[in-house]
Amino acid sequence: MNQKTNWRWIDYLIFGLTIFLVFCIIFDSFLELSAIFAWLGRWHPVILHFPIVLLALSIFLGLSKKNVPQLLLTVTTISALITAISGFFLGAEISVKGDLLLRHQWLGSGVALLTVIWFWILRYELEYKSILKIIQIVLIGLILLTGHFGGMLTHGEDFLTLPSSEESDKIPENPLIYEHIVGRIIKEKCVSCHNPNKKKGQLVMTGLSEILKGGEIGNTIVPTKPEESEMIKRLHLPLENDEHMPPDGKNPLSENEIQILERWITLGALDTLRLAHLSGAEPMRALIKEMMEPDPMNKWENLPKVADSTILNLSSDYINITRVASNSEAIKINAFLSPNHSQKSITDLKRIANNIVELDLSGIPIGPPEAEMMAACTNLEWLELDRTSISDEELDKLRGLKNLRLLKIYKTNVTDKSISVFKSLSNLKSLYLWRTGIGSKALNEFLKERPDLDVDVGIEKKVESFVVVADSIPKT
Amino acid sequence: MDKTNDENPLKVNRRHFFSQLSVGIGSLALGSLLIPDLFKGGPKELADMPLGIPHFAPKAKRVIYLFQAGAPSQLETFDHKPTLRKRMGEDLPDSIRNGQRLTGMTSGQDKFPLMPPTVKFKQHGNSGAWVSDFFPHIAKIADDICIVRSMHTEAINHDPAITFFQTGSQISGRPSMGSWMSYGLGSENKNLPSFVVLTSRGKGNSQGLYSKLWSSGFLDSKHQGVLLRSGKDPVLYLNDPEGISRSDKRHLLDHVSSLNKMHHAETGDDEIESRIAQYEMAYRMQMSVPDVMDISKEPESIIKLYGEDCQVPGTYAANALQARRLAENGVRFIQLYHQGWDQHGNLHNEMAGQAKDVDQASAALVLDLKQRGMLEDTLVIWGGEFGRSNYCQGKFDPTNYGRDHHPRAFSIWMAGGGIKPGLNYGKTDEFGYNIIENPVHINDFHATLMHSLGLDHEQLTYKYQGRRFRLTDVAGNVIKDLLA
Repeated sequence: MNQKTNWRWIDYLIFGLTIFLVFCIIFDSFLELSAIFAWLGRWHPVILHFPIVLLALSIFLGLSKKNVPQLLLTVTTISALITAISGFFLGAEISVKGDLLLRHQWLGSGVALLTVIWFWILRYELEYKSILKIIQIVLIGLILLTGHFGGMLTHGEDFLTLPSSEESDKIPENPLIYEHIVGRIIKEKCVSCHNPNKKKGQLVMTGLSEILKGGEIGNTIVPTKPEESEMIKRLHLPLENDEHMPPDGKNPLSENEIQILERWITLGALDTLRLAHLSGAEPMRALIKEMMEPDPMNKWENLPKVADSTILNLSSDYINITRVASNSEAIKINAFLSPNHSQKSITDLKRIANNIVELDLSGIPIGPPEAEMMAACTNLEWLELDRTSISDEELDKLRGLKNLRLLKIYKTNVTDKSISVFKSLSNLKSLYLWRTGIGSKALNEFLKERPDLDVDVGIEKKVESFVVVADSIPKT
Repeated sequence: MDKTNDENPLKVNRRHFFSQLSVGIGSLALGSLLIPDLFKGGPKELADMPLGIPHFAPKAKRVIYLFQAGAPSQLETFDHKPTLRKRMGEDLPDSIRNGQRLTGMTSGQDKFPLMPPTVKFKQHGNSGAWVSDFFPHIAKIADDICIVRSMHTEAINHDPAITFFQTGSQISGRPSMGSWMSYGLGSENKNLPSFVVLTSRGKGNSQGLYSKLWSSGFLDSKHQGVLLRSGKDPVLYLNDPEGISRSDKRHLLDHVSSLNKMHHAETGDDEIESRIAQYEMAYRMQMSVPDVMDISKEPESIIKLYGEDCQVPGTYAANALQARRLAENGVRFIQLYHQGWDQHGNLHNEMAGQAKDVDQASAALVLDLKQRGMLEDTLVIWGGEFGRSNYCQGKFDPTNYGRDHHPRAFSIWMAGGGIKPGLNYGKTDEFGYNIIENPVHINDFHATLMHSLGLDHEQLTYKYQGRRFRLTDVAGNVIKDLLA
């Protein structure tokens, strides 16, 4: 055939590349490459996309019983071979290969070789139609697997796993500094390259002993000496520097995380140290506390949407309604008594009840309708009802506010009866009861049940009498 | 509002004209599809909404800044240095002074004799905070406050130093921090200004206070601090003159406002809108201010708490009580100044007097806020613009000494608003001259203050004359250790 004779050199090229690939597979561990080949290997992540697309196209045509054009398959085969070979060049830079890399190499070579077989079958018009089908189906599987392992190599092993619900597992109350804090930072930011499968710079960071063992260059960590620790040195290099870790394009460590690593090394890089062991002045303490505290904005993520126009409609010169932050659906409201106050302006707030997290109704007349509106605010965390006419009956309606953290009801007529309401507010942390009808006996009994609750009943008598008696200001 | 065109008083240039012509029509059409009631109109406009910057949930909602103008000495207040007593009269070692520049008042001195405070110090509270005997009441709240002994500044004279503290720059013209907060957070109560200033004066040596300290600089003038007078009428001409009823006033305002709106339509000048808003604010303040400022309803126990003096308008105690009432009524930033802390001579007597002015009322304010649950979201700050030298100004005379300005280290305290109570932060050397641990620069202080208000100091910017400005300009770190 004409075509055959014209394209003879293509056959030689593909044959040659195939032989070279087989050579690479066999002598993989003996490959010593010059710089230019190593550099060529770096192109692997770029060119690998060509065979994937071309193969997908060819397989689609093949399986849908269309003619696979000779030219398409030729280009596909050549790109698959080049990709596989460049992959070996890239892999040769890593001296000890992990399972992941080996699997990726074998599967990738398999893809290239199968494509070559397909090419020869089509090229010489062999009568293996059924075999072609099998080859195409196997290729789909191989491409998927190769891509999967390759993705894990570049992005980290858990990159392609489904997001698990317990991903943000909480840091315990008194965490071990290494296991719960430092280890977690390293796992998030370092292990994707420094693991038994990838071992960049011969360094594995999956455990403390491996980290202490260090890598190719010097000591990764020198306990008590962060300035001598290679890891800290590289974290502090300017981002443009090639030695900077993590390399450009990967998720860098935050300032806080770097400081935590530094302090942890300064304190000896121990895996037995706990948060409670740290002194109050230790700077790491505040940093860790910050990590442990979940961002308050997160819990408000699922609140229903509120339109700005709704907020504007409900607000007035005396009712200030704002978002907690401009990108949040959580609402805080501060009401002031208007000369012509209407009950409706308060009860209307029911429209956005689910979004209200802070409500200040100090000095506003409170009756049953208002109490009903408040009872509907299930996400309410902060409630100020001081200097109001609220009574035990109205307060009783607020039993259901399970998220309430702070309640101010000073200067009201609330009495001992309301203590049972406080009991049902399980999340309550601060309670302001100055100048109410609540007796100290009932209150003390309640406090025995809730020792963590912060109750304020006014200035301590001792301090108050000192301040009042020792009037230090000279009389004029 | 378009913030890019602020230099241009007419708010419209060629580019704006064309871009608004083309985009305007399209966006109106699109907008009416997305927001069905866009054209329905109404008295309230979106401009009322606070600035749309994504920030985080704040710990503090408002600030009461008890500014001690003139710079109280750290060595007679919160920084206890026994070494000064041991080495009294000795010359300040050069290794400590380390080339620090001097003011014109001591630059002629050839000796810098160390001078210990004549007042005694004691430790107080569970935190063991050292507080001088000048402040018996503040000592009582040692566990409620966070004392920072490692503040430092670059300015060495009053005016640049106080301007630095208020505006983040030694050179005047930038917006005051209260104006920045008003700009970033909006007002809590639309019937009162969001930034209020109250001044008082002690008998000690005073330095001037200028309205530039609470100016809104290049920000919209509605963010400017409103100085409440200390006399009988906190705001002049607030009452309607005889023969004018409130509805007459309303008519007048409506007319003036419609004229102003016409002018605004012609020129597009934002300041006209501010002016309209200010007329409206003044109208509402006629109702709100007398009510807020009237302390006659305060019970006897509160009067006694702040000291009998709080019934005398214009005293620090009266201002402190007003500050609480203003905070209760939704004023964002309440700035008190107490003048008279510039003790170049006669330090012991003058400071004793100054301390008496402020000690009880400052402590009372913190205690009062605490029992009202307001310390949870109100940040109280007490401090001056710099520190004072550990050596005598002029001749060495232990019976009547004075101290010169010292920018390298001084003490302030804060309470509430997400700041860790009972914390003693930062350390100076044994001479009280240099900071040896945890320095806090004014920019850091501003950044931390903004953080507790839920503002990212790097994101709250305003573009003016071609560049974006911040309160912290190009510096400042949030001091996380101070946060509760």
